[in-house]
Amino acid sequence: MSLLKPFSKLPGLNTANILLVENEEQFQQSLADILVEETSVSVTVRLAKTLPLPMENDESRPRIDLVVFIMNLTSELSFQSAEASLKYLDPGYFLGKVCFMVTNARNASVPTERLDAVRKLAASLHCPLLFAEDQAPDGVTSATERLLTVLKVAAGLVPTTTALYLSNLTRCTLPPDIEQPSFD
Amino acid sequence: MDDSARRLLQRLIRRIPAQMLKPTLDKWDRLTAAHRQSMDFTESKWALTEKLLAICEENEMTVKHITELEMIHVIENPDHSMWYALQLVDPEDDAHSVELTQFKEQFKSHLRELIRHVSIKIKKHTDEAVWIRIAWGDSFSRPNHLKPTYVVHHLQTPYVFVTSLTSKLKPLLSQALVLSTRYQAIKDASLSGRKLTAIRDLLMRQYQQVFPTKYPSSLVENNQNASNILINKEQAELAASRHQKACEAFGDGMLPQLQSAVYKLETKFRDHTNKTMTEREEAFRCVVKFASTNLLESLRHCASSGISSTPGTSLLSSIPLKGRNYFVITDNGPGPSSQTRQPPN
Repeated sequence: MSLLKPFSKLPGLNTANILLVENEEQFQQSLADILVEETSVSVTVRLAKTLPLPMENDESRPRIDLVVFIMNLTSELSFQSAEASLKYLDPGYFLGKVCFMVTNARNASVPTERLDAVRKLAASLHCPLLFAEDQAPDGVTSATERLLTVLKVAAGLVPTTTALYLSNLTRCTLPPDIEQPSFD
Repeated sequence: MDDSARRLLQRLIRRIPAQMLKPTLDKWDRLTAAHRQSMDFTESKWALTEKLLAICEENEMTVKHITELEMIHVIENPDHSMWYALQLVDPEDDAHSVELTQFKEQFKSHLRELIRHVSIKIKKHTDEAVWIRIAWGDSFSRPNHLKPTYVVHHLQTPYVFVTSLTSKLKPLLSQALVLSTRYQAIKDASLSGRKLTAIRDLLMRQYQQVFPTKYPSSLVENNQNASNILINKEQAELAASRHQKACEAFGDGMLPQLQSAVYKLETKFRDHTNKTMTEREEAFRCVVKFASTNLLESLRHCASSGISSTPGTSLLSSIPLKGRNYFVITDNGPGPSSQTRQPPN
Protein backbone atom coordinates (compact mmCIF):
# COMPACT_ATOMS: atom_id res chain seq x y z
CA MET A 1 0.00 0.00 0.00
CA SER A 2 1.37 3.40 -0.85
CA LEU A 3 1.26 4.99 2.58
CA LEU A 4 2.48 8.50 3.06
CA LYS A 5 5.24 8.30 5.66
CA PRO A 6 6.14 11.18 7.94
CA PHE A 7 9.85 10.63 8.59
CA SER A 8 11.16 8.85 5.53
CA LYS A 9 12.77 11.98 4.09
CA LEU A 10 15.13 14.62 5.40
CA PRO A 11 13.74 17.98 6.47
CA GLY A 12 14.81 21.24 4.85
CA LEU A 13 16.38 24.18 6.67
CA ASN A 14 13.71 26.58 7.95
CA THR A 15 11.16 24.92 5.65
CA ALA A 16 7.70 23.65 6.36
CA ASN A 17 5.61 21.58 3.93
CA ILE A 18 1.87 21.24 4.23
CA LEU A 19 -0.50 18.97 2.32
CA LEU A 20 -4.10 20.16 1.89
CA VAL A 21 -6.59 17.44 0.97
CA GLU A 22 -9.99 18.62 -0.19
CA ASN A 23 -12.57 16.92 -2.39
CA GLU A 24 -13.95 20.13 -3.89
CA GLU A 25 -10.52 21.67 -4.60
CA GLN A 26 -11.75 25.21 -3.90
CA PHE A 27 -10.79 26.38 -0.42
CA GLN A 28 -7.37 24.76 -0.65
CA GLN A 29 -6.39 27.13 -3.42
CA SER A 30 -7.23 30.28 -1.44
CA LEU A 31 -5.48 28.91 1.62
CA ALA A 32 -2.40 28.04 -0.42
CA ASP A 33 -2.14 31.52 -1.90
CA ILE A 34 -1.91 33.07 1.55
CA LEU A 35 0.19 30.32 3.15
CA VAL A 36 3.07 30.81 0.74
CA GLU A 37 3.27 34.49 1.64
CA GLU A 38 4.61 33.68 5.08
CA THR A 39 8.01 35.31 5.55
CA SER A 40 9.52 33.84 8.70
CA VAL A 41 9.40 30.29 7.38
CA SER A 42 9.55 29.08 3.81
CA VAL A 43 6.26 27.22 3.29
CA THR A 44 5.54 24.82 0.43
CA VAL A 45 2.00 23.72 -0.21
CA ARG A 46 0.91 20.50 -1.90
CA LEU A 47 -2.72 20.24 -3.02
CA ALA A 48 -4.60 16.99 -3.50
CA LYS A 49 -8.18 15.91 -4.00
CA THR A 50 -7.86 12.55 -2.21
CA LEU A 51 -5.19 10.15 -1.00
CA PRO A 52 -3.31 8.08 -2.11
CA LEU A 53 -0.99 10.49 -3.85
CA PRO A 54 0.35 9.48 -7.25
CA MET A 55 3.59 7.50 -7.15
CA GLU A 56 5.17 9.55 -9.94
CA ASN A 57 5.52 12.54 -7.63
CA ASP A 58 7.20 10.54 -4.88
CA GLU A 59 10.73 11.57 -5.81
CA SER A 60 10.07 15.26 -6.07
CA ARG A 61 7.78 15.46 -3.07
CA PRO A 62 9.38 16.90 0.06
CA ARG A 63 8.74 15.63 3.58
CA ILE A 64 5.16 16.50 4.49
CA ASP A 65 5.00 18.04 7.96
CA LEU A 66 1.26 18.52 8.31
CA VAL A 67 -1.69 16.94 6.50
CA VAL A 68 -4.92 18.94 6.61
CA PHE A 69 -8.22 17.37 5.58
CA ILE A 70 -10.69 20.05 4.50
CA MET A 71 -14.34 19.05 4.62
CA ASN A 72 -17.38 20.96 3.51
CA LEU A 73 -20.10 20.10 5.99
CA THR A 74 -22.88 20.69 3.47
CA SER A 75 -21.70 17.73 1.40
CA GLU A 76 -21.76 14.12 2.55
CA LEU A 77 -19.41 13.20 -0.27
CA SER A 78 -16.79 15.55 1.17
CA PHE A 79 -16.83 13.75 4.52
CA GLN A 80 -16.79 10.29 2.96
CA SER A 81 -13.91 11.15 0.68
CA ALA A 82 -11.85 12.50 3.59
CA GLU A 83 -12.62 9.41 5.67
CA ALA A 84 -11.58 7.12 2.83
CA SER A 85 -8.31 8.99 2.41
CA LEU A 86 -7.32 8.42 6.05
CA LYS A 87 -6.34 4.82 5.32
CA TYR A 88 -3.45 5.96 3.15
CA LEU A 89 -1.63 7.79 5.90
CA ASP A 90 1.06 6.09 7.92
CA PRO A 91 -0.02 5.89 11.61
CA GLY A 92 2.98 8.06 12.51
CA TYR A 93 1.11 11.05 11.15
CA PHE A 94 -1.58 10.80 13.79
CA LEU A 95 0.83 11.89 16.50
CA GLY A 96 0.11 15.54 15.92
CA LYS A 97 0.75 15.85 12.18
CA VAL A 98 -2.86 15.62 11.01
CA CYS A 99 -5.47 18.31 11.33
CA PHE A 100 -9.13 18.49 10.28
CA MET A 101 -10.59 21.71 8.94
CA VAL A 102 -14.30 22.12 8.42
CA THR A 103 -16.19 24.80 6.45
CA ASN A 104 -19.85 25.85 6.36
CA ALA A 105 -20.57 24.76 9.92
CA ARG A 106 -23.02 27.65 10.36
CA ASN A 107 -25.12 26.62 7.38
CA ALA A 108 -28.66 25.73 8.41
CA SER A 109 -28.91 22.84 6.00
CA VAL A 110 -26.16 20.86 7.70
CA PRO A 111 -27.56 17.88 9.60
CA THR A 112 -26.28 17.75 13.16
CA GLU A 113 -25.34 14.08 12.73
CA ARG A 114 -22.68 15.03 10.24
CA LEU A 115 -20.94 17.47 12.55
CA ASP A 116 -21.14 14.90 15.35
CA ALA A 117 -19.61 12.29 13.07
CA VAL A 118 -16.74 14.63 12.18
CA ARG A 119 -16.20 15.39 15.86
CA LYS A 120 -16.13 11.70 16.74
CA LEU A 121 -13.68 11.01 13.96
CA ALA A 122 -11.34 13.81 15.05
CA ALA A 123 -11.61 12.80 18.71
CA SER A 124 -10.91 9.14 18.03
CA LEU A 125 -7.77 10.07 16.10
CA HIS A 126 -6.64 12.66 18.69
CA CYS A 127 -6.46 15.39 16.07
CA PRO A 128 -7.48 19.05 16.25
CA LEU A 129 -10.69 20.14 14.56
CA LEU A 130 -10.65 23.67 13.19
CA PHE A 131 -13.68 25.55 11.89
CA ALA A 132 -13.11 27.97 9.01
CA GLU A 133 -15.04 30.56 7.09
CA ASP A 134 -14.14 30.19 3.45
CA GLN A 135 -16.21 32.90 1.80
CA ALA A 136 -14.76 36.07 3.33
CA PRO A 137 -11.09 37.05 2.91
CA ASP A 138 -10.87 37.65 6.68
CA GLY A 139 -11.96 34.10 7.29
CA VAL A 140 -9.35 32.73 4.92
CA THR A 141 -6.62 34.80 6.59
CA SER A 142 -7.52 33.68 10.10
CA ALA A 143 -7.69 30.05 8.98
CA THR A 144 -4.20 30.29 7.49
CA GLU A 145 -2.85 31.88 10.68
CA ARG A 146 -4.14 28.97 12.74
CA LEU A 147 -2.76 26.46 10.28
CA LEU A 148 0.63 28.18 10.32
CA THR A 149 0.77 27.97 14.10
CA VAL A 150 0.24 24.22 14.00
CA LEU A 151 2.49 23.82 10.95
CA LYS A 152 5.47 25.52 12.54
CA VAL A 153 5.27 23.21 15.53
CA ALA A 154 4.77 20.13 13.37
CA ALA A 155 7.82 21.05 11.27
CA GLY A 156 9.92 21.30 14.43
CA LEU A 157 10.60 25.00 14.01
CA VAL A 158 9.34 26.06 17.44
CA PRO A 159 11.86 25.34 20.19
CA THR A 160 10.74 23.27 23.23
CA THR A 161 7.50 22.16 21.57
CA THR A 162 6.77 19.06 19.54
CA ALA A 163 3.76 18.15 17.46
CA LEU A 164 2.71 15.45 19.90
CA TYR A 165 2.83 17.86 22.83
CA LEU A 166 0.76 20.43 20.96
CA SER A 167 -1.79 17.86 19.89
CA ASN A 168 -2.45 17.04 23.53
CA LEU A 169 -3.59 20.62 23.96
CA THR A 170 -5.44 21.10 20.69
CA ARG A 171 -7.05 17.76 20.06
CA CYS A 172 -10.77 17.54 19.62
CA THR A 173 -12.71 16.29 22.60
CA LEU A 174 -16.30 15.11 22.61
CA PRO A 175 -18.74 16.91 24.84
CA PRO A 176 -20.30 14.41 27.28
CA ASP A 177 -23.79 15.03 25.88
CA ILE A 178 -22.96 14.31 22.26
CA GLU A 179 -25.36 11.38 22.19
CA GLN A 180 -28.26 13.50 23.42
CA PRO A 181 -30.64 14.91 20.79
CA SER A 182 -30.00 18.58 20.00
CA PHE A 183 -32.39 21.47 20.54
CA ASP A 184 -34.10 21.56 17.14
CA MET B 1 -51.62 59.87 -36.31
CA ASP B 2 -54.39 57.40 -35.72
CA ASP B 3 -55.41 55.62 -32.58
CA SER B 4 -53.58 52.37 -33.18
CA ALA B 5 -50.32 54.18 -33.88
CA ARG B 6 -50.69 56.18 -30.69
CA ARG B 7 -51.40 53.06 -28.65
CA LEU B 8 -48.48 51.27 -30.23
CA LEU B 9 -46.14 54.12 -29.37
CA GLN B 10 -47.34 54.27 -25.77
CA ARG B 11 -46.89 50.51 -25.37
CA LEU B 12 -43.46 50.68 -26.89
CA ILE B 13 -42.15 53.50 -24.72
CA ARG B 14 -43.40 51.64 -21.68
CA ARG B 15 -41.43 48.57 -22.73
CA ILE B 16 -38.17 50.33 -23.38
CA PRO B 17 -36.20 50.78 -20.14
CA ALA B 18 -35.42 54.38 -19.22
CA GLN B 19 -31.69 54.23 -19.83
CA MET B 20 -32.14 52.65 -23.27
CA LEU B 21 -34.60 55.28 -24.45
CA LYS B 22 -32.14 57.91 -25.64
CA PRO B 23 -29.83 55.54 -27.58
CA THR B 24 -32.78 53.81 -29.22
CA LEU B 25 -34.33 57.09 -30.32
CA ASP B 26 -30.98 58.22 -31.68
CA LYS B 27 -30.66 55.04 -33.71
CA TRP B 28 -34.16 55.54 -35.05
CA ASP B 29 -33.03 58.83 -36.49
CA ARG B 30 -36.47 60.21 -37.25
CA LEU B 31 -36.39 63.06 -34.78
CA THR B 32 -34.67 66.25 -35.75
CA ALA B 33 -31.88 67.65 -33.62
CA ALA B 34 -34.22 70.28 -32.26
CA HIS B 35 -36.69 67.66 -31.09
CA ARG B 36 -33.97 65.65 -29.47
CA GLN B 37 -32.73 68.69 -27.58
CA SER B 38 -36.21 69.42 -26.35
CA MET B 39 -36.63 65.98 -24.81
CA ASP B 40 -35.42 65.91 -21.27
CA PHE B 41 -34.50 62.33 -20.47
CA THR B 42 -34.49 62.86 -16.75
CA GLU B 43 -38.24 63.31 -16.65
CA SER B 44 -40.59 60.47 -15.80
CA LYS B 45 -41.55 57.94 -18.45
CA TRP B 46 -45.09 59.26 -18.55
CA ALA B 47 -43.92 62.81 -19.27
CA LEU B 48 -41.56 61.55 -21.97
CA THR B 49 -44.34 59.53 -23.59
CA GLU B 50 -46.56 62.59 -23.80
CA LYS B 51 -43.71 64.64 -25.28
CA LEU B 52 -42.90 62.00 -27.84
CA LEU B 53 -46.54 61.57 -28.80
CA ALA B 54 -46.78 65.30 -29.37
CA ILE B 55 -43.66 65.30 -31.57
CA CYS B 56 -44.89 62.35 -33.60
CA GLU B 57 -48.29 63.96 -34.10
CA GLU B 58 -46.56 67.10 -35.31
CA ASN B 59 -44.50 65.15 -37.82
CA GLU B 60 -47.47 63.02 -38.85
CA MET B 61 -45.70 59.77 -38.21
CA THR B 62 -47.52 56.60 -39.11
CA VAL B 63 -47.58 53.08 -37.80
CA LYS B 64 -44.81 52.24 -40.25
CA HIS B 65 -42.40 54.59 -38.47
CA ILE B 66 -43.33 53.35 -35.03
CA THR B 67 -42.77 49.75 -36.08
CA GLU B 68 -39.28 50.76 -37.20
CA LEU B 69 -38.58 51.96 -33.67
CA GLU B 70 -39.98 48.75 -32.22
CA MET B 71 -37.82 46.67 -34.49
CA ILE B 72 -34.70 48.58 -33.48
CA HIS B 73 -35.54 47.99 -29.83
CA VAL B 74 -36.19 44.26 -30.29
CA ILE B 75 -33.01 43.73 -32.28
CA GLU B 76 -31.02 45.31 -29.46
CA ASN B 77 -32.84 43.41 -26.71
CA PRO B 78 -34.14 40.12 -28.02
CA ASP B 79 -34.15 38.40 -24.65
CA HIS B 80 -37.64 39.27 -23.46
CA SER B 81 -39.65 36.57 -25.15
CA MET B 82 -39.32 32.85 -25.77
CA TRP B 83 -37.55 31.97 -29.01
CA TYR B 84 -38.12 28.68 -30.82
CA ALA B 85 -35.69 27.22 -33.32
CA LEU B 86 -36.84 25.67 -36.59
CA GLN B 87 -34.77 23.81 -39.11
CA LEU B 88 -35.24 23.71 -42.85
CA VAL B 89 -34.71 20.28 -44.41
CA ASP B 90 -34.05 18.87 -47.86
CA PRO B 91 -32.50 21.72 -49.76
CA GLU B 92 -33.09 22.17 -53.44
CA ASP B 93 -30.12 22.62 -55.71
CA ASP B 94 -30.07 26.38 -55.46
CA ALA B 95 -30.75 26.63 -51.72
CA HIS B 96 -27.18 27.55 -50.94
CA SER B 97 -27.09 30.49 -53.26
CA VAL B 98 -30.16 32.34 -52.05
CA GLU B 99 -29.19 35.91 -51.42
CA LEU B 100 -30.84 38.77 -49.65
CA THR B 101 -32.88 40.59 -52.30
CA GLN B 102 -34.15 37.36 -53.76
CA PHE B 103 -35.14 36.07 -50.34
CA LYS B 104 -36.89 39.33 -49.44
CA GLU B 105 -38.97 39.47 -52.60
CA GLN B 106 -39.87 35.82 -52.52
CA PHE B 107 -40.81 35.84 -48.85
CA LYS B 108 -43.00 38.93 -49.13
CA SER B 109 -44.79 37.73 -52.22
CA HIS B 110 -45.42 34.22 -50.90
CA LEU B 111 -46.70 35.41 -47.55
CA ARG B 112 -48.95 38.01 -49.18
CA GLU B 113 -50.40 35.29 -51.40
CA LEU B 114 -51.25 33.19 -48.37
CA ILE B 115 -52.81 35.88 -46.25
CA ARG B 116 -54.13 39.13 -47.59
CA HIS B 117 -53.63 41.60 -44.77
CA VAL B 118 -50.18 41.24 -43.43
CA SER B 119 -47.48 43.78 -42.73
CA ILE B 120 -43.92 42.61 -43.29
CA LYS B 121 -40.70 44.40 -42.47
CA ILE B 122 -37.34 42.85 -43.32
CA LYS B 123 -34.03 44.16 -42.10
CA LYS B 124 -30.53 42.81 -42.40
CA HIS B 125 -28.50 43.12 -39.23
CA THR B 126 -24.75 43.65 -39.24
CA ASP B 127 -24.05 40.10 -38.14
CA GLU B 128 -25.55 38.49 -41.26
CA ALA B 129 -28.91 37.81 -39.63
CA VAL B 130 -32.09 38.73 -41.45
CA TRP B 131 -34.77 40.04 -39.09
CA ILE B 132 -38.41 39.87 -40.18
CA ARG B 133 -41.25 41.52 -38.34
CA ILE B 134 -44.75 40.29 -39.28
CA ALA B 135 -48.02 41.80 -38.10
CA TRP B 136 -50.88 39.48 -38.92
CA GLY B 137 -54.38 40.42 -40.00
CA ASP B 138 -56.95 38.23 -41.76
CA SER B 139 -59.29 38.63 -44.67
CA PHE B 140 -61.46 41.07 -42.73
CA SER B 141 -59.25 43.02 -40.41
CA ARG B 142 -56.11 45.09 -40.65
CA PRO B 143 -52.83 43.77 -39.33
CA ASN B 144 -52.58 43.73 -35.55
CA HIS B 145 -49.39 45.55 -34.69
CA LEU B 146 -49.65 44.90 -31.00
CA LYS B 147 -48.76 41.21 -31.34
CA PRO B 148 -46.10 40.93 -34.03
CA THR B 149 -44.07 37.86 -34.78
CA TYR B 150 -40.31 38.19 -35.13
CA VAL B 151 -38.32 35.80 -37.28
CA VAL B 152 -34.53 35.62 -37.50
CA HIS B 153 -32.89 33.73 -40.31
CA HIS B 154 -29.26 33.42 -41.24
CA LEU B 155 -29.04 33.16 -45.01
CA GLN B 156 -27.47 30.02 -46.43
CA THR B 157 -28.01 28.19 -43.14
CA PRO B 158 -31.04 25.99 -42.53
CA TYR B 159 -31.87 27.65 -39.19
CA VAL B 160 -34.75 29.95 -38.39
CA PHE B 161 -35.67 31.39 -34.98
CA VAL B 162 -39.20 32.59 -34.24
CA THR B 163 -40.96 34.25 -31.37
CA SER B 164 -44.61 35.02 -30.58
CA LEU B 165 -46.11 32.81 -33.24
CA THR B 166 -49.50 31.18 -32.68
CA SER B 167 -50.07 27.65 -33.89
CA LYS B 168 -52.78 28.87 -36.24
CA LEU B 169 -50.35 31.04 -38.15
CA LYS B 170 -47.38 28.70 -38.00
CA PRO B 171 -48.25 26.77 -41.21
CA LEU B 172 -48.48 30.02 -43.16
CA LEU B 173 -45.11 31.22 -42.00
CA SER B 174 -43.57 27.80 -42.61
CA GLN B 175 -44.90 27.70 -46.15
CA ALA B 176 -43.54 31.14 -46.95
CA LEU B 177 -40.15 30.34 -45.44
CA VAL B 178 -39.81 27.03 -47.23
CA LEU B 179 -40.65 28.50 -50.59
CA SER B 180 -38.45 31.55 -50.27
CA THR B 181 -35.40 29.70 -49.01
CA ARG B 182 -35.68 26.93 -51.60
CA TYR B 183 -35.94 24.01 -49.18
CA GLN B 184 -38.59 21.33 -49.21
CA ALA B 185 -39.78 21.26 -45.64
CA ILE B 186 -39.33 22.77 -42.22
CA LYS B 187 -39.35 21.04 -38.87
CA ASP B 188 -39.19 21.92 -35.22
CA ALA B 189 -35.62 21.80 -33.92
CA SER B 190 -36.67 21.05 -30.30
CA LEU B 191 -34.67 23.99 -29.04
CA SER B 192 -36.14 26.95 -27.25
CA GLY B 193 -34.99 29.58 -24.81
CA ARG B 194 -35.17 33.19 -23.81
CA LYS B 195 -31.71 34.23 -24.92
CA LEU B 196 -31.57 34.36 -28.69
CA THR B 197 -27.77 34.57 -28.81
CA ALA B 198 -27.50 31.46 -26.64
CA ILE B 199 -29.71 29.23 -28.75
CA ARG B 200 -28.22 30.58 -31.94
CA ASP B 201 -24.64 29.91 -30.76
CA LEU B 202 -25.60 26.44 -29.56
CA LEU B 203 -27.33 25.44 -32.78
CA MET B 204 -24.70 26.87 -35.08
CA ARG B 205 -21.85 25.70 -32.85
CA GLN B 206 -20.34 29.16 -32.38
CA TYR B 207 -18.34 28.25 -29.33
CA GLN B 208 -14.95 26.71 -28.93
CA GLN B 209 -15.05 23.03 -29.83
CA VAL B 210 -12.58 20.59 -28.36
CA PHE B 211 -11.78 17.51 -30.38
CA PRO B 212 -10.79 14.19 -28.79
CA THR B 213 -7.06 13.65 -28.99
CA LYS B 214 -5.06 10.65 -27.96
CA TYR B 215 -2.13 12.71 -26.73
CA PRO B 216 -3.32 15.89 -25.05
CA SER B 217 -0.74 18.57 -24.44
CA SER B 218 1.72 17.72 -21.70
CA LEU B 219 0.98 20.90 -19.77
CA VAL B 220 -0.29 19.70 -16.41
CA GLU B 221 0.06 22.71 -14.16
CA ASN B 222 -2.90 24.90 -13.41
CA ASN B 223 -2.18 28.43 -14.67
CA GLN B 224 -2.41 29.88 -11.20
CA ASN B 225 0.07 27.46 -9.72
CA ALA B 226 2.48 27.58 -12.63
CA SER B 227 3.36 31.08 -11.52
CA ASN B 228 3.97 30.00 -7.95
CA ILE B 229 6.37 27.08 -7.66
CA LEU B 230 5.75 26.81 -3.96
CA ILE B 231 2.25 25.44 -4.59
CA ASN B 232 2.10 22.01 -6.18
CA LYS B 233 -0.90 20.08 -7.31
CA GLU B 234 -0.42 16.39 -6.63
CA GLN B 235 -3.08 15.01 -8.93
CA ALA B 236 -2.72 17.56 -11.69
CA GLU B 237 -2.71 15.00 -14.52
CA LEU B 238 -5.96 13.47 -13.38
CA ALA B 239 -7.52 16.89 -13.07
CA ALA B 240 -6.29 17.84 -16.54
CA SER B 241 -7.69 14.70 -18.14
CA ARG B 242 -11.04 15.24 -16.42
CA HIS B 243 -11.08 18.79 -17.71
CA GLN B 244 -10.20 17.60 -21.21
CA LYS B 245 -13.04 15.06 -21.25
CA ALA B 246 -15.49 17.63 -19.93
CA CYS B 247 -14.47 20.12 -22.63
CA GLU B 248 -14.77 17.43 -25.29
CA ALA B 249 -18.35 16.85 -24.24
CA PHE B 250 -19.43 20.44 -23.71
CA GLY B 251 -16.90 22.78 -25.32
CA ASP B 252 -14.23 25.11 -24.01
CA GLY B 253 -14.21 28.76 -23.01
CA MET B 254 -17.46 30.74 -22.91
CA LEU B 255 -20.43 28.50 -23.51
CA PRO B 256 -23.83 29.61 -24.86
CA GLN B 257 -26.02 30.64 -21.94
CA LEU B 258 -28.65 27.99 -22.28
CA GLN B 259 -31.05 28.20 -19.38
CA SER B 260 -33.13 25.07 -19.39
CA ALA B 261 -33.35 21.54 -20.70
CA VAL B 262 -36.43 19.35 -20.56
CA TYR B 263 -36.50 15.56 -20.74
CA LYS B 264 -39.86 13.93 -21.18
CA LEU B 265 -39.59 10.32 -20.01
CA GLU B 266 -41.95 7.65 -21.22
CA THR B 267 -40.03 4.69 -19.95
CA LYS B 268 -40.99 1.91 -17.65
CA PHE B 269 -40.30 2.39 -13.97
CA ARG B 270 -37.15 0.52 -12.93
CA ASP B 271 -36.26 0.12 -9.29
CA HIS B 272 -35.59 -3.23 -7.69
CA THR B 273 -36.64 -2.07 -4.25
CA ASN B 274 -40.09 -0.97 -5.36
CA LYS B 275 -42.01 -3.95 -6.66
CA THR B 276 -45.44 -2.35 -7.04
CA MET B 277 -44.25 0.37 -9.39
CA THR B 278 -41.99 -1.90 -11.41
CA GLU B 279 -44.77 -4.39 -12.04
CA ARG B 280 -46.92 -1.89 -13.88
CA GLU B 281 -47.15 -2.50 -17.60
CA GLU B 282 -47.60 1.00 -18.87
CA ALA B 283 -44.81 3.55 -19.04
CA PHE B 284 -44.10 5.85 -16.11
CA ARG B 285 -44.49 9.31 -17.55
CA CYS B 286 -42.55 12.11 -16.00
CA VAL B 287 -40.85 15.31 -17.06
CA VAL B 288 -37.39 16.25 -15.80
CA LYS B 289 -36.40 19.87 -16.16
CA PHE B 290 -32.90 21.26 -15.62
CA ALA B 291 -32.73 25.02 -15.10
CA SER B 292 -29.78 27.26 -14.39
CA THR B 293 -28.38 30.66 -15.29
CA ASN B 294 -25.85 28.89 -17.48
CA LEU B 295 -26.76 25.23 -17.81
CA LEU B 296 -23.91 24.11 -20.05
CA GLU B 297 -21.32 25.75 -17.81
CA SER B 298 -22.70 23.93 -14.75
CA LEU B 299 -22.75 20.57 -16.54
CA ARG B 300 -19.19 21.07 -17.70
CA HIS B 301 -18.10 22.01 -14.19
CA CYS B 302 -19.76 18.87 -12.80
CA ALA B 303 -17.73 16.75 -15.17
CA SER B 304 -14.41 18.57 -14.79
CA SER B 305 -14.51 18.73 -11.00
CA GLY B 306 -15.22 15.04 -10.71
CA ILE B 307 -18.69 15.34 -9.15
CA SER B 308 -20.07 13.29 -12.03
CA SER B 309 -17.93 10.60 -13.56
CA THR B 310 -16.58 10.97 -17.06
CA PRO B 311 -17.57 10.02 -19.72
CA GLY B 312 -20.87 11.51 -18.66
CA THR B 313 -24.27 10.26 -19.62
CA SER B 314 -25.01 10.74 -23.27
CA LEU B 315 -28.38 12.26 -22.39
CA LEU B 316 -26.72 15.38 -21.01
CA SER B 317 -23.98 15.58 -23.61
CA SER B 318 -26.59 15.36 -26.38
CA ILE B 319 -27.60 18.90 -25.56
CA PRO B 320 -24.57 20.48 -27.25
CA LEU B 321 -24.03 17.54 -29.59
CA LYS B 322 -27.48 17.65 -31.12
CA GLY B 323 -28.18 21.30 -30.41
CA ARG B 324 -31.54 20.74 -28.73
CA ASN B 325 -32.96 21.09 -25.28
CA TYR B 326 -36.19 19.12 -25.49
CA PHE B 327 -35.91 15.33 -25.52
CA VAL B 328 -38.47 12.56 -25.46
CA ILE B 329 -37.02 9.33 -24.11
CA THR B 330 -38.80 6.03 -24.67
CA ASP B 331 -37.71 2.50 -23.95
CA ASN B 332 -36.58 1.86 -27.49
CA GLY B 333 -34.08 4.68 -27.37
CA PRO B 334 -34.66 8.38 -28.01
CA GLY B 335 -38.15 9.09 -29.37
CA PRO B 336 -39.25 9.93 -32.89
CA SER B 337 -38.69 13.63 -32.39
CA SER B 338 -34.94 13.15 -32.32
CA GLN B 339 -32.92 12.79 -35.47
CA THR B 340 -29.22 13.09 -36.09
CA ARG B 341 -28.24 16.64 -36.90
CA GLN B 342 -27.31 17.50 -40.42
CA PRO B 343 -23.90 19.16 -40.35
CA PRO B 344 -24.19 22.77 -41.44
CA ASN B 345 -22.41 23.36 -44.71
